[in-house]
Amino acid sequence: MLTINKNKSGLKIIIVGCGKVGSTLVEQLTQEGHDITLIDKDPARIQAITNAYDAMGILGNGATYSVQKEAGIDDADLLIAVTDSDELNLLCCTVAKRVGKCVTIARVHTPEYSKEAKYLKDKLGLEMIINPEYECAKVISRILYLPTAEEVSSFAHGQVEMVKIRLPEGNKLDGKRVMDIGHDIMANIVFCGVERDGQVFIPSGQFILKEGDLISFVASRYDTKRFLGKIGFKTGQVKDTLIVGGGKGSFYLADMLIKSGIEVRIFEKIKERCEVLSVLLPKAIIINDDGAGEDALKEAGLETVDAFVPLTGIDEENVLLSLHAKQVSNAKVVTRISRNNFKGILDNMDLGSVVYPKYITSDAIIAYVRARQNTKDSNIETLYKMFDSKAEAIEFKVESESDLTDTALMNLKLKDNLLIAFINRHGEIIFPGGHDEIHVGDSVMVVTTHTGFNDIRDILR
Amino acid sequence: MNSPMIRVILGHIMKIEAAFMLLPCIVAVIYGENVGWTYLAIACITALLGVFMTLKKPADSVMYLKEGSVATVLGWVVLSLFGCLPFYFSGEIPSFTDALFETISGFTTTGASILSDVEALSHTALFWRSFTHWLGGMGVLVFLLAIVPLSGGSTINLMKAESPGPSVGKLVPKIKATARTLYLIYTALTLMQIIFMVIGGCSLFDAVNLSFATAGTGGFGVRGDSLASYSPYIQWVVIVFMILFGVNFNAFYLITLGKIKDALHVEEVKYYLLIILSSTAIIFINIFRTCKGIEEALRTSFFQVAAIITTTGFATADFDTWNTTCKIVIVMLMFVGACAGSTGGGIKVSRFIVMFRTIKKEMNTYIHPKSVKKIMLEGKPVEHEVVRSINVYMGTYIMIFAISIFLVSFNELDLITSFTAVATTINNVGPGLNLIGPTCNFGFLTPFTKYVLMIDMLAGRLELFPLLILIQPKVIKGFFERRPKVKKAE
Repeated sequence: MLTINKNKSGLKIIIVGCGKVGSTLVEQLTQEGHDITLIDKDPARIQAITNAYDAMGILGNGATYSVQKEAGIDDADLLIAVTDSDELNLLCCTVAKRVGKCVTIARVHTPEYSKEAKYLKDKLGLEMIINPEYECAKVISRILYLPTAEEVSSFAHGQVEMVKIRLPEGNKLDGKRVMDIGHDIMANIVFCGVERDGQVFIPSGQFILKEGDLISFVASRYDTKRFLGKIGFKTGQVKDTLIVGGGKGSFYLADMLIKSGIEVRIFEKIKERCEVLSVLLPKAIIINDDGAGEDALKEAGLETVDAFVPLTGIDEENVLLSLHAKQVSNAKVVTRISRNNFKGILDNMDLGSVVYPKYITSDAIIAYVRARQNTKDSNIETLYKMFDSKAEAIEFKVESESDLTDTALMNLKLKDNLLIAFINRHGEIIFPGGHDEIHVGDSVMVVTTHTGFNDIRDILR
Repeated sequence: MNSPMIRVILGHIMKIEAAFMLLPCIVAVIYGENVGWTYLAIACITALLGVFMTLKKPADSVMYLKEGSVATVLGWVVLSLFGCLPFYFSGEIPSFTDALFETISGFTTTGASILSDVEALSHTALFWRSFTHWLGGMGVLVFLLAIVPLSGGSTINLMKAESPGPSVGKLVPKIKATARTLYLIYTALTLMQIIFMVIGGCSLFDAVNLSFATAGTGGFGVRGDSLASYSPYIQWVVIVFMILFGVNFNAFYLITLGKIKDALHVEEVKYYLLIILSSTAIIFINIFRTCKGIEEALRTSFFQVAAIITTTGFATADFDTWNTTCKIVIVMLMFVGACAGSTGGGIKVSRFIVMFRTIKKEMNTYIHPKSVKKIMLEGKPVEHEVVRSINVYMGTYIMIFAISIFLVSFNELDLITSFTAVATTINNVGPGLNLIGPTCNFGFLTPFTKYVLMIDMLAGRLELFPLLILIQPKVIKGFFERRPKVKKAE
C-alpha cells in the first residue's frame, strides 16, 4: 500500500459526469497521479466516488460557467465530458473552450452526431471525440475476423496486430521453451506477454509455455494467420453472426460486419427500434423478439451460427446468454461487460472473449493524457492495457535524440519486465534483435508490466 | 475490519510523535536541562515501536469510514499514551493519571490542567505541553496525510474522522495537497504570531509556547496567571490570533488564492464574528465599572470572549468573580465554539446556523404544512443527510453530556463545578467556573472523574461518533477477525 507516488507533475483534469466511463477514468487517472475534479448532478454519486478515490467533487451542471469556474477551469489542463447526453458533453466542452484554455474531450455516441464527429471536432475546437460504443464494436469486429483469438488489437495504423490466444490442451507449443520453437513457426512473431493463474509474465527465451496460458503476440496480419495455421488454429473469419439487443453498439458492429461480408441477425424486442434498424441496416435480418428465449434463439439458428454476440444493456443477461450459447453451440462467443463488478467470477466463467467498453474508452483517454503530460522528446501514439491493466503496450514516437537512439538494443540497460515488441520505421515493421537500433523518427512499441510510462526514456533503468 | 492497515497507521503516528519529541530535546539542550534525556529515550522507544509496527505491509490498503474512525480514535489514544510518558518518567507529574490527563488535555487542545504551579515545570516540559496543542489543533492524522504517501483515495476517511465540522470538503483535488495546504497556512499563521509577540517584547520562549497554545486553540500558559501579567499589546495580539485560528481554514485558503472578497462572504465567519462582537458588548457593559478604564474593560471582555468561543481558554481576568449574566454568556460561548474546519472545539457555529434554520423551517411547516423548503448554507442547499446528522449530533451530544455529569457527580462537587467541568472538557475549552475557575486547577478531582473528563475531551475533539463507534462490541470483535481463506473454485 505504501507505494511512493512518483508523480511528476499531475495534470489538472476536470471530469464532467461520473457514470461508468467517468468513474473508471477517475480510478485510472488518480492512480497516475493527476489532480481530478469531478462534476455531477447527483450528490450520492459524487459522494461515492470521492470516498473511494482521491478526487474532489462538485455538485452542479458541468456546462454552466459558474460550476466550471468553481471547478477551477482557469488553470485546468483538460476537461473530459462523459455524461450520458451528447449535447451536454458538447456544450460543456464549448463553454470550457471559451472560459479556460484547456484541452477538451467529449464523448459523443449517437450515430447521428458520430458521423459528423470530425466536423464537430474541428468546428467546436475540441481535441478529441470518443465514442465508446463505436470503439467497442471495432474491438468485437476484429475478434470476429479472427475468431480463434481471444482479443485482437491493432497498432501502427493497422499494420501490426496484437493477438491474444489461449493455448489449448495438447497443442504442439505446450511444454516448449520459447527459444526452442522452430524458426519456421516463429518467423516475424514476438511473444510479448503470457498470463498464467492471474500472473503476467513478459516471456524471455527461457520461458516454458504451458497449456491454458493466455499468450499475446504481435505480428502483421499475414504472419499472424500463418503462425496460427502452423500451430493448428483455424484462421478464417466468421460467416454469420447472431447479435442480441439492438442498441447503438449493435448498430455499429452490424454495420462493420456487413461491410466485410458477414451475415448478421439481430434480436431486438422493441418494434420501433427494429424498424429503425431495418432502415439503417437493410442487409441485416432484424428479428423482433426478446432474444432471451431458448426457442427463439434456436429458431434463429444459434446452434449452427459461427459467432454469437449478446449486446443487451444488462450485463447479467449477456453473461447468461453467453453461457447458454457456449452450451448449445460451437459459436465464437463475445461477451460485453459494461459494469464489471465481479471480475473474479467472470474470469472463472467460460464466456469466450470478453470486452469491457469502459476500459476501451478510458485507455484511449489515458493515452491522450499521458501524451499531453509529456512535453519533450517523444510521444505516445497508442496505449493499450493488456491482461486487465496488469501490463501495458505503448507505442512511442521518437522525436529527438537521446541516450536511447542510435545504440544497439543489446547495449541499452533496460528495465526488467519490459520488451521492445517492434520498431516502425517509416512504415517498415522491424521485429528487433540485439543489434537493431532505435532512430529518430521511429515508432517503438514497448510492452511492460510497469505502469505510468510516458516517455520512451522511461524504459531505461 | 482491515486491522493490518490500522496497525500501520498507528505505527506511522508513533514515528511522527517520536520525531516531534526531539523538539523538546533541543529545548533541553538550550536550557541545559537534564530531563531532555528522558524525552530522547522515550522518543527512541516510540520510534522503534513505530518502525516495528510498519514493517509488514498490509495486503489490502482500503479503508472504509469504519476503519478511518477506529484508526483515528486509536491513533489519538496511542498519541496520548506515549505523549504522557515523558511527564511521568521525568517525575515532573508523578501520577500517571495526572500525566495522561495533562497530555490528553494538550492534544485535544482543551488546556485544562492538573498543575497547581505551572512555573515549577522545566522549560522542556512546558514546551512539550504547548507543542501537544499545536499538533492536536490541526490533527496528527492530517499531518500524517500530508507527509506519508498513503496510496488510495480512501484515506479521506481518516480526515473525515479527525476534522471538526459537519462535513469535510477538500481544498484541492488531492488529499495530500489539501493536508499540506492546511498545515502550511497553520504554520504560517503560527510564525506570524510568534513574530508579533517577540516585537512586543515577549521572550522568545513565551512567544513560541503561547503561539502554539493559541494556534491549536489550546490554552496552556507558561505562567501561573495565564496571560494576565503580559502587556496589553501582547494581549491584543493574542486576541486577534485566537479569533483568526477560530476561523474556517477554507477562508484562509481563499485569501491565499487572492479571493479576499469571497473569504469575507463566508457565512459562517460572518456569524462567528457577529457572536463575538455582541458577546463582547454584553460583557463590556457589565464589567466596565469595575475596570480601570475603557481600554482595559474592552480588552478584558474581548479577550475573554475570544478565549472562550475559540475554546482556547486563556484568561486575563478571573471571570468567576463576574456577575451572573457574564458567567452565563461565557458558558453559552463554550457550547457555541468556533467555526467548522478551524482548530477550535465546541459544537461549531455552522451547526447552530443549520439548526436555527431547521427550526425556522419547522415553524414554517406549521403555517404551511405542505410547503417545501431547502435549508441553505453558504448559498447552497444543505443535503438532507447533513441536516439529519447535525440533529443526531446534537442529541448524542446532550446524552453524553448528561451521562458525564452523572458520573462526575460521584465526586460530590457542587452543581456549577460539575456542570462546567463537563462543559469545559467536552468543548475543549479549559477553565470552568467555581472550583475549577480560571485561577484553580483540576488536580483535586478523583481519578475516576479525571478519566471521565479525559473521555469527554477525546469525544469532543473527535466529534463524538468515532469514539462511540469504537466502543461498539461489533467493531471490537471485527478488529480481531481474520479474513477467512476462501477456497478457490476450480
